[in-house]
Amino acid sequence: MSADTGRSETLLEIRGISKHFPGVDALRNVSFDVRRNTVHCIVGENGAGKSTLIKILTGAETRSGGSITFNGAEFNPRSTREAMHSGISVLFQELNVVNQLTVEQNLSLGKETTRLGFFRKDPHLVDRVYKVLQSLDPSIGLHRRVADLSVAQKQVIEIAKAIASDSNVIIMDEPTAALSEDEVNRLFAIIKALRTKNVTVIYISHRLREIFEIGDFVTVLRDGQMIGTRQLSELTGAGVGEGESTAELIKMMLGKMVAEHYIASPVDRSTTVLEMRGVTTGKLKGVSFSLYKNEILGFYGLIGSGKTEIARAIFGLDPKEGETLIHGQPVALATPEEAIRRGIALVPEERRTEGLVAKLALRENIPLMNIDSISRLGIFSAKRERRLARSYMKKLRIVARDENHVVEKLSGGNQQKVVLAKCMNADSRILLMDEPTRGIDVGAKEEIHNLIRELARGGTSVIVFSSELPEILNLCDRIILLYGGRIREIVENGPEADSERIMHVVTGGAEG
Amino acid sequence: MTQTASLSDSPRRQALNLQLLILFGILILVMGISTILTPKFLSYVNMVNVMMQVAMIMLTGSAAVLLMIAGNFDLSVGMVLALSGVMFAFMSKNGIPTPAALVLAVLIGSAFGALNGALVVGLKITPVIATLGTMYVAQGLAFIVAWIDGGANVTTGLPRDFEVFGRTMVGPIPLFLWIVFVLILVFYFLFAKTNLRKYAFAIGGNRVAARLSGIKVGSVIMTLYVLVGTLTGFAGMTLASRMGSGSPKVGTGFEFDVIVAVVLGGTSIYGGEGSFLGMILGALIIGFVGNTLNLLNVMFFYQTVLKGLILVGAVLLTRVIKERQG
Repeated sequence: MSADTGRSETLLEIRGISKHFPGVDALRNVSFDVRRNTVHCIVGENGAGKSTLIKILTGAETRSGGSITFNGAEFNPRSTREAMHSGISVLFQELNVVNQLTVEQNLSLGKETTRLGFFRKDPHLVDRVYKVLQSLDPSIGLHRRVADLSVAQKQVIEIAKAIASDSNVIIMDEPTAALSEDEVNRLFAIIKALRTKNVTVIYISHRLREIFEIGDFVTVLRDGQMIGTRQLSELTGAGVGEGESTAELIKMMLGKMVAEHYIASPVDRSTTVLEMRGVTTGKLKGVSFSLYKNEILGFYGLIGSGKTEIARAIFGLDPKEGETLIHGQPVALATPEEAIRRGIALVPEERRTEGLVAKLALRENIPLMNIDSISRLGIFSAKRERRLARSYMKKLRIVARDENHVVEKLSGGNQQKVVLAKCMNADSRILLMDEPTRGIDVGAKEEIHNLIRELARGGTSVIVFSSELPEILNLCDRIILLYGGRIREIVENGPEADSERIMHVVTGGAEG
Repeated sequence: MTQTASLSDSPRRQALNLQLLILFGILILVMGISTILTPKFLSYVNMVNVMMQVAMIMLTGSAAVLLMIAGNFDLSVGMVLALSGVMFAFMSKNGIPTPAALVLAVLIGSAFGALNGALVVGLKITPVIATLGTMYVAQGLAFIVAWIDGGANVTTGLPRDFEVFGRTMVGPIPLFLWIVFVLILVFYFLFAKTNLRKYAFAIGGNRVAARLSGIKVGSVIMTLYVLVGTLTGFAGMTLASRMGSGSPKVGTGFEFDVIVAVVLGGTSIYGGEGSFLGMILGALIIGFVGNTLNLLNVMFFYQTVLKGLILVGAVLLTRVIKERQG
């Protein structure tokens, strides 16, 4: 490592970064270098620590330990504004442009100079940004309304702003999530051109194909730890086929499976509990599948593949076309209330904002899906409510002071158990679980998994929607692979289930 | 057993208990000061008079407290109160038998409640804006009816039995106060013991979670608006009968008194928490303060200033107590 401060090869030096949240280590001892004028990719599963890393680099979070050297100097941004001034900008998934304004107005947004409290137009600033914009995409006119532009063009505006304000580093967080194939190619052309404009790109994505196409280096994170940094030309070096190099990267991302392993449920294939035929919504295209009695069925796909949308469609939250049958009987499932009446319960993705009434006590949350379990003729019994809560606390081993404990003060795992108790109390025969263990520590994760297996053995059919492949492989009897709102493949789980091939399918790779 | 129960009470509960205790202290203080300032305060005539005002606040408050816990709001109650009274007088004056007019007047309140509910639930208009709109509609209608009748109030030419409901005495206490008392008890039961309570707290605490739990959020909110409207209609009819006239001006500031009583009682304006007993204490405090100022001939404007300060103070008090209790 040369200490040459003039124009060293290394632009950003990350050493032993860690970040603790209460109960979770989001990042542990992460170190890597980002070289000047390269495209440096960061990959990892959900929860691997990618977004925490970005937040630390952009000053949105402060690190718990380690050091960052940027351009040869200590780098300790205390806000995103400060990071931007030092030359690190972010292109967030949620674009920071104002649709109601023109391109010109957007270019000077946030950079207004004022005089005596009045805005002053700075023609030089707009000129400078516009020149950059022209060099990136000449088709964007200065006086067009931003609302009329495509997502990709809006991204270009943000990139132009970042370059014009002398950013050395642009961090792109899943920039292609909302782009069409064509737009992706245009964006990649721009990213490649950025190298010549003295800009370094840190590129975060799930899609491995993209990384091989534009990346120079790739750093892999898993469970908050750095697994390694590789030069992509090495991975794809002479004599290595594309398939093999992808496999190597996937292996790094997933690592070894945890001690937990798949236990087959006593699936009764002669009884179809739920069947969907050609279900189509805004995001889903012709989804058809069956769910058997005692089965744990898994839906796996990346963000935006349509997992949550399938859960929402079944639970009557989104309008849908197509047929739905429960025990062979056609049903509408148009509202959550109807879904619950027909024996379906949902453990939503966001337990704090969707699953629980956080300010209420444990005892008040558990009967919410089935008030009749504690009341008769509309009058509830506090005694039955207390008894119900206590029995679930015992059955699910919920750790709380007592049944009056306010749920917002419980740990993530215990909160999830309360949501599960709420669903079990509704006597549901079909349990939908969207990201059942997101943000829950390893021990509680396994406990929740065991509870799900117990439910399946007891006659409930469970559908698990997860973006964590190990979870899916540990729990599910069949795995449905999603990509772009469609079912790509239905895989039987077992010792032969090939996680690398699954990854290949859900990242949009060719079938076969 | 009672001791273990109080030990295991949640901090939220403890905060609420403390707030009720403080309110009770303030109430005693207000009554003490009022008695010292004006001996008339504790007189029988004055007590019946002040209880009549307080009863109306409590009556609407009985349902409004649940509505606010469910995260909603009704600004129209003052003008609906006035409109029901005016319509009661107008109808019984124009040939509708008084008992029928009485029921119809209450139903006008229910209709406005249903209208509020339809605007908020069906058309998804923010409660404050929707009920501000219906408040002006009700006010306008009350003045129009009075004008059609030929004056500022509907007073002359009312049938003999118009005042029966408001003037009948049972012992030393007017009949309508007994009825209001029973109604408040019924609503206390509704608040403390029925599923409606569970639904209101769940919806106000987390509307999305309530919906995903299968609670019919829209119907619950609709029901609460109709209950508030109905009780307000009843209050308006009662006041008109008691005063022997239907006046469009009678409800001015009533919505404000109801909101102050509910908020003073520890109900969060964002919903999800609140207390019925707190509302009762709040209504007594706001009623007694207003009454004492009246007895002392303090101008109406000063009363408004004071009530405004009480409202802001109530919100601050609740917050301080909550922060203390963690």
